[in-house]
Amino acid sequence: MRPQNTDERLPTKSMLAALWQLKQFVLPYKAGLFTGIGAFGIARLFEVMVPVLTAVAINKMASDDFEITLQVFGIILAVLARYCVVTFARFNVRKVALKVSYDLRQQLFEKLQQQGSEFFGQYSIGDMMTRAVADISLIQRLISMGTILVIILVYAAIVGFGFMLYYSPMLTLLLLPPMPIIFFYAQHSSKAMGEASEKVQERLSDLGTHTQENLSGIRTIQAMVQEDNEIDRFSETNQAYADVFYEQGRITSAMASWMPSLAAVCSLTILSYGGYQVLQGTLPIGDFVAFFMLVGMVVQPFRVAGFIINLFQRAAVASRRLFEVFDRPPEINDDPSGNTPTTISGNLRIKNLSYTYPGAAIPALHDISFKLQRGETVTIMGRVGSGKTTLLKQIVRLIDPKPEAVWIDGHPVKDYPLSQLRAQVAMVPQDPFLFAEPLKDNLTYDEPNRMLEKIWEAATSADLKNTIDGFPDKLDTLIGERGVTLSGGQKQRATLARGLIRNAPLLILDDCFSAVDTETEDHILSELKRLRREQTTLLVSHRVSTARHADRIIIIDEGTILETGSHEQLIAKHGYYAELERVQREGAEEDDLERLRLNIQ
Amino acid sequence: MSIARTKNEQPKKRDYAMFDADISGAVLNMSLLRRLLHWLKPYSGALLVSTVLVLFASTLQVLLPIIISLVVIDHIIQGETSTDTPDFGLIELNTWLSNSLDLPPLIAACALYATIQIIWAFVGHAHRMTLIGSVINGLRDLRLDLFRHLETRPSSFYDRVAVGRVMTRVTNDVEALYELLRGLGTLIGEFVPFFVALAVMLAIDTPLTLMLLMALPLLALVTYYFRRSTRFLFRQVRQTISTLNQTLQENLAGLQVVQISDRQAFNLNRYTDVNGNNRAYEQKLARVETLYGAFNESLAHIAIGLILYYGASKVMTVTMSIGEVVLFTQFVGMLFHPVVVLGEQTNILFRAMASGERIFQALDWDEKIHEPENPASLPNRLDGKVEFKKVSFAYDPAMPILKDVSFTIAAGEKLAIVGPTGSGKSTLIRLLGRFYDFADEQIFLDGIDLNQIHTRDLRKRVGVVLQDFHIFSGSIYDNIALGNPNVTRTKAIEAAQTVNADDFISALPDGYDSALTERGQNLSQGQRQLLAFARVLASDPEILVLDEATANIDTETELLIQDALERLTQGRTSIIIAHRLQTIQDADRVLVLDQGQVAEIGNHEELLAAQGLYATLHALQFQSEERAEESR
Repeated sequence: MRPQNTDERLPTKSMLAALWQLKQFVLPYKAGLFTGIGAFGIARLFEVMVPVLTAVAINKMASDDFEITLQVFGIILAVLARYCVVTFARFNVRKVALKVSYDLRQQLFEKLQQQGSEFFGQYSIGDMMTRAVADISLIQRLISMGTILVIILVYAAIVGFGFMLYYSPMLTLLLLPPMPIIFFYAQHSSKAMGEASEKVQERLSDLGTHTQENLSGIRTIQAMVQEDNEIDRFSETNQAYADVFYEQGRITSAMASWMPSLAAVCSLTILSYGGYQVLQGTLPIGDFVAFFMLVGMVVQPFRVAGFIINLFQRAAVASRRLFEVFDRPPEINDDPSGNTPTTISGNLRIKNLSYTYPGAAIPALHDISFKLQRGETVTIMGRVGSGKTTLLKQIVRLIDPKPEAVWIDGHPVKDYPLSQLRAQVAMVPQDPFLFAEPLKDNLTYDEPNRMLEKIWEAATSADLKNTIDGFPDKLDTLIGERGVTLSGGQKQRATLARGLIRNAPLLILDDCFSAVDTETEDHILSELKRLRREQTTLLVSHRVSTARHADRIIIIDEGTILETGSHEQLIAKHGYYAELERVQREGAEEDDLERLRLNIQ
Repeated sequence: MSIARTKNEQPKKRDYAMFDADISGAVLNMSLLRRLLHWLKPYSGALLVSTVLVLFASTLQVLLPIIISLVVIDHIIQGETSTDTPDFGLIELNTWLSNSLDLPPLIAACALYATIQIIWAFVGHAHRMTLIGSVINGLRDLRLDLFRHLETRPSSFYDRVAVGRVMTRVTNDVEALYELLRGLGTLIGEFVPFFVALAVMLAIDTPLTLMLLMALPLLALVTYYFRRSTRFLFRQVRQTISTLNQTLQENLAGLQVVQISDRQAFNLNRYTDVNGNNRAYEQKLARVETLYGAFNESLAHIAIGLILYYGASKVMTVTMSIGEVVLFTQFVGMLFHPVVVLGEQTNILFRAMASGERIFQALDWDEKIHEPENPASLPNRLDGKVEFKKVSFAYDPAMPILKDVSFTIAAGEKLAIVGPTGSGKSTLIRLLGRFYDFADEQIFLDGIDLNQIHTRDLRKRVGVVLQDFHIFSGSIYDNIALGNPNVTRTKAIEAAQTVNADDFISALPDGYDSALTERGQNLSQGQRQLLAFARVLASDPEILVLDEATANIDTETELLIQDALERLTQGRTSIIIAHRLQTIQDADRVLVLDQGQVAEIGNHEELLAAQGLYATLHALQFQSEERAEESR
């Protein structure tokens, strides 16, 4: 998965607005968050006791007083107390971050399930995965680390600078000038790091995609003797990855050298001016040592702040991307009228149905009308892209039809509860998608607790029984990369069984026989005839041998109905269908293509 | 014997499950590290330089605190210098500097400090760059070798292992090795200052140093337990996160099915379970991590208390100076840090061991197609006569696929193969391209035993078009020419025109230069088939082998394909696994395969007349031909 551009920048105002949106997710855990922040403050006070008591102890030693038991005892106590408090604080804050990211994931999953083809025409699955993985983890890090920023900035400034000012105001002021440089250098390099690591991720994902796609096509590659060319091509991808990886290493390494060097400017200031004061006798030697210990505490915020400002920026973008999904209304509204029958009997009516995809210039469907009586079987035929699938999707409201365009049993589909509509109108989509789960769970996907016999029945009707018997674990065989990979025909038959098992009053089959051989198809069609005598079936096919079994055939072209009638009627009509039938039976002549085209016009 | 395996020799039993299994390398495997050195060897010069640099940088790192404590505090401020304290000559250098430049000693010390800091920065950077440069290059070479090895494994290997698992060896596993090698480099950078600091401390005060060293076993023990408990938790977190992502990804990929099956609520519940599981492990991990997080800095702070307490009594008896006490407090961190880093590196180390094992397992996987020792040299143009003589073949000895299959295809003949699913059709054509090893003297091309022809030579003569055609990244032209210098642009266009592909190619915005993505998502299935035809036509093989696609193709495109196929097979021995009546009717002869045996062979009319399996299949495909005739 290629990470999206997560390093885009927002102006401060919209950055804060984007982060402010998160408040509804954070507020439920405010108690934990504030407890954590409070505890961090206390921990800082304990922490600063170590250099303070060290200073006292060394000062005593310098003045030949060697009774420092009290100070040592104080140091140990302060360390123990700090350990307890800081552990408590860190755990609290991390817990809040975890809870928030849990809630964000839940919300994202729920919202995405309500989206449909329009949404996924606009956003890719990979994009959504990036939001689920990278964006949520950015926000998680913002909470667990961003809080620490506030703490460090406020407490370190107050506590650290407070004590230093107490020791030597002049020296403290001299320490200030390098701080902005440290801050900007940190911010600059963390931005550069972010960009570099994004490039590394991109190239790594290229490498993965390249390898995966190459190995998937290994048979063709070997058949075409392309191994050497492919190895050369891989070598380029491999080198590109090595290059960006090296660049990332360079930035990290430069930072590892220069960040401590910038901080060393502070040590130099203490060494020179502090040393001078000690020589002058205006600064006790213990305080001089304490300065070295305290300076880290003061430099750290500026070092970290640079990183965390970037984290804020990136988390704001992440938040905006997440809310883009959260704020999107569901594509299909479930708003039943309440006066629809509880059982659909299977009369379908399409009335002046037109549909234009958002952003498209030409309608995908134009003024389609036809009726299906309970018990009828109708085949829809037409070229690829003629609008068949668009039509079928509107019956189960995968795409919302215009109001009063699609009717079932005398009610517009909109009036049925969505779950009832989809339970009683079974659709088998064109793309035979199977989940990486046991075959059994795939076949009875809509109702996980079905009896085994029912599953076997449907599998038998879809001519899948022999296939399943050939699997080591029968119905429990795992499907997919980690289990058994099914052939195209097997997949189609499995999805067909998944539709048949529901014994729905209205069954919609979207070109489900294309990868099934004719013999098998014939068997399945006669099964359909036997099982669904009393029920309505609507199917799409390219084959005349399939269509001829139907009570009626509807030819769709460029979104309108071209011909309709029974096999015999259409043959007698000598139109498109008749030509199709002849071509499929006899094969093509030179001018057949032209004639088919002419028939359409 | 010119080929490694004869009829009687059984193929080596391979446990393919092992390839997919998770190897958990829990032990430090030295032979694995030694093997890894092979890829680093070419960069040993740079690695040597890097090692020298790290020693230098580490020493400089130790010098900085010494300037503060021994030079400034003791020498300049307190005016006392203990001769037996190793100061690396810094005091003398400082005195010399201040004398020769006529600077106050304090300013000279500052200049020294700044100089060392800057040299340290450059040397450290140089060390890291030479190290990662060598490691990146070495692993790049390893990755290429691995890819080269995988690219030449036979089909029988890819039939059995998941491509995804093979892929992660090239990406993630090599990645883990990088972490390992860089980690080892970091450890060197930690241990050198450790030993230098230790030597200085021992010279100043042995008992105190030994006392502080006693804290190390405690730190090591706590670190060990921490790493042990987090290793388990880390794995659980990783696993639950990956389940979480997989669940979401699959739910999105199959969203349409989820929605039409009304499974949203059920799936949300399942996701909630996984999400909750993940949070539970993350919280446990957070608890352990926060408990450990402040532990070692606390230990170092307590050590400061002890140093002061002990130091006070020593300063009282003038056996230690204040600067030396301060030096101890500065060095105590360097003493503890390596243990912490070692703890951090163990998880990476264990993971990398497992990755290394997986990589070498893949590199050691020696399954291959056996090539003849003295390959037959083929004439410029073969006639194209193919002979199958009692061919028997099985992927798994328990399940024979082909049983005694014999037939001959004359030069230039067009043979269609039909038969039910699982009858062995695909196997037959796979053998012809030598994608699997089979016994000698079974298949002959122009009278030459196929096993005597090198696969590379053979595959240039036998053009195979599979159902799942692979589109290579690049332009349409690249995809037709496939790097063959003989296929000029004109020739490629000619080929495309011949197979009816020119129309759709010319309609693309960049024509023949249009970029194709791998898997060819921007082409329809019919277009991909036509492109595959153009590709095979351009390579002009003597024998064409085609597994006809049975995909979602409308009649219009199908006509284009049929028409193209006719021209493609002209004057070429052709073997086609046919799914379309049209193809079958155009064939010179039809071979009906059933359960691995030749059921019937003959031309369309003969077979219809024979009233056998072919007649049945044919009737099924076009049951009511008469009825259709009547209505015309």
